[in-house]
Amino acid sequence: MLQLCRITKSYRMGEMAVEILHGIDLTILRGDYTAIVGSSGSGKSTLMNILGCLEPPSSGQYYFNARDITQLSDNERTDIRNVQIGFVFQQFNLLPRLTALQNVMLPMVYAGYGREERRQRAAAMLEQVGLADRMTNRPNQLSGGQQQRVAIARALVNQPELLLADEPTGALDSRTGEEVIELMSALHADGLTVVLVTHDASVAQNCGKIIRIQDGQISRSA
Amino acid sequence: MGLRRRERNGGDLAETIALAWSSLLANRMRSALTMLGVIIGIAAVISMVTIGRGAQLQTENQLKSLGSNLVFVQSGVAASGGPASRGAGSATTLIWEDAQAIAASIPAVADVAPNLSQRTQVVLGDRNTNTTVVGSTPAYVTVRDFLPLSGRFFNQVELNQAARVAVLGQTVVDSLGLTERSALDRTIRIRGETFTVIGTLEFKGSTGFRDQDDQVLIPLTTMAARIVGVNTTAGVSVESIAVSARSAQSMAAAEYQITNLLRLRHRIVPPREDDFLIRNQADLVNASNAVANVFTALLGGSAAISLLVGGIGIMNIMLVSVSERTREIGIRRAIGARCSDILRQFLIESTVLSLAGGLLGVLLGVVASLTINAIFGWSAGIAFDAVGWSLAFCLVIGVFFGAYPANKAAQLDPMTALRSD
Repeated sequence: MLQLCRITKSYRMGEMAVEILHGIDLTILRGDYTAIVGSSGSGKSTLMNILGCLEPPSSGQYYFNARDITQLSDNERTDIRNVQIGFVFQQFNLLPRLTALQNVMLPMVYAGYGREERRQRAAAMLEQVGLADRMTNRPNQLSGGQQQRVAIARALVNQPELLLADEPTGALDSRTGEEVIELMSALHADGLTVVLVTHDASVAQNCGKIIRIQDGQISRSA
Repeated sequence: MGLRRRERNGGDLAETIALAWSSLLANRMRSALTMLGVIIGIAAVISMVTIGRGAQLQTENQLKSLGSNLVFVQSGVAASGGPASRGAGSATTLIWEDAQAIAASIPAVADVAPNLSQRTQVVLGDRNTNTTVVGSTPAYVTVRDFLPLSGRFFNQVELNQAARVAVLGQTVVDSLGLTERSALDRTIRIRGETFTVIGTLEFKGSTGFRDQDDQVLIPLTTMAARIVGVNTTAGVSVESIAVSARSAQSMAAAEYQITNLLRLRHRIVPPREDDFLIRNQADLVNASNAVANVFTALLGGSAAISLLVGGIGIMNIMLVSVSERTREIGIRRAIGARCSDILRQFLIESTVLSLAGGLLGVLLGVVASLTINAIFGWSAGIAFDAVGWSLAFCLVIGVFFGAYPANKAAQLDPMTALRSD
């Protein structure tokens, strides 16, 4: 489903170019449950952003369903983010002025669904993550765990093939973090392909596959 | 597996407008202050144009109040070029007989009223006023469409006898401390001569050049004999002759025929220039309209500049808004908003801002216009075309001044935007 060939990523820091990723080769199959682990600054978040089509790699090829992402236009990559990939952020990234329901509906707005269908599907999705009674709350009226579940509902509402989660438990206490991880496991059990970044070994243990990143390279894959 | 083909519209328009409205409401104070620029600009445009139009219409009406289908023949300075010149500097080249000839021999002419005036003092007991004494004929009433309010105008008999009778304008009535009733049968003194007041004239108002009610009318014969005394060998000199044509259509013919007749009578052959001047009401209206148009354009133009300043205010606040909401833009981009969706969102926001300001400005401008009309007693109404134009201008301002900030927002890199706080 995903295939990365010699992906590198460098950032320009003033005069100097700093390379964060040095040639990543990676394959993720449909139905995989993969954890990417590594210390902070190892480049795992950057890798995640490339997987999520949020930023293009500096070199190398990235095939998503056999299409080379690096050759696509900005609009095409935007549409992949919209429909085929769900992305869950460490900081939730909900829009503070919108209600939970409106936040979940947002990807469907950009996908061009009608108002009624949006409302129904977003409501069903919030029910699925256990927030049926919190639909009209704004993010600041929700706990961290609830916000992250809204974010997960938003990521899934367009029925993507791939769910990417960048340290989804990073901003949560351990108990709510566990709930979120349980939710992700359940989604994987239903057939969703999941990739998550974590530095929590116990979280990684749940996953079928662990990829360890060190200094911008894959050091061990299991 | 390819991408599912989607009908992309980024939400329907009503929804995007509602979204824009709610984000403007989130910053009430700021939005209101930004709109104020547009509100003032639009209100200024509308009320300034109303003022300009009102003044113009007012002048037009007053010029029409001079009478209908009027042609004015005025004495000109006689040309001193030819040997047959009547003498350089004789300002009054027209005589009463010219007026009689015009009335008698030109079919397009309904009636004529010769006019000889003199600014002088009028005394009643211990009160006096400085006014214009006008010598004319009974035709003055029909030609100038100037009816007596009380009493009567002098008649042909009084004209023939050079009777000492006077008809007062309302300003003179007031100045002498009289009313239109009490003025009748009073004896006033003009240049030491006594006159009996036989009537007062209806109220006409100002033409913008002079107060039509500040005058005293006496028979032309009396005027020539007792007040000004400009008896030439040719007869009674007059300053001007007011001529009423039979209809609006016959005005051009009347002007042409009068010109020819007077050239004959004054023995004017080229290269001598005419010693008279013919002007009609349309000329006067056109001249005053030209002035009024410049006036309206100046007022409207300066108001439009304030509208432009309002537009720059919108651009300013949209730039602030974009940089404040960089993270929101990042989130939207990350979950599937295209550049064009972001562009659209901010463009609509700036347009809603300027149009909302525009509508409030229209409201204010209409209220101001109505107030101005009420104060000056104008019937010009509201400049609805200015309302239309300024709203269209608002739309353009919203799009034009929103374009740069919206484009800036749309071009943000999603990841860079997400990382900002």
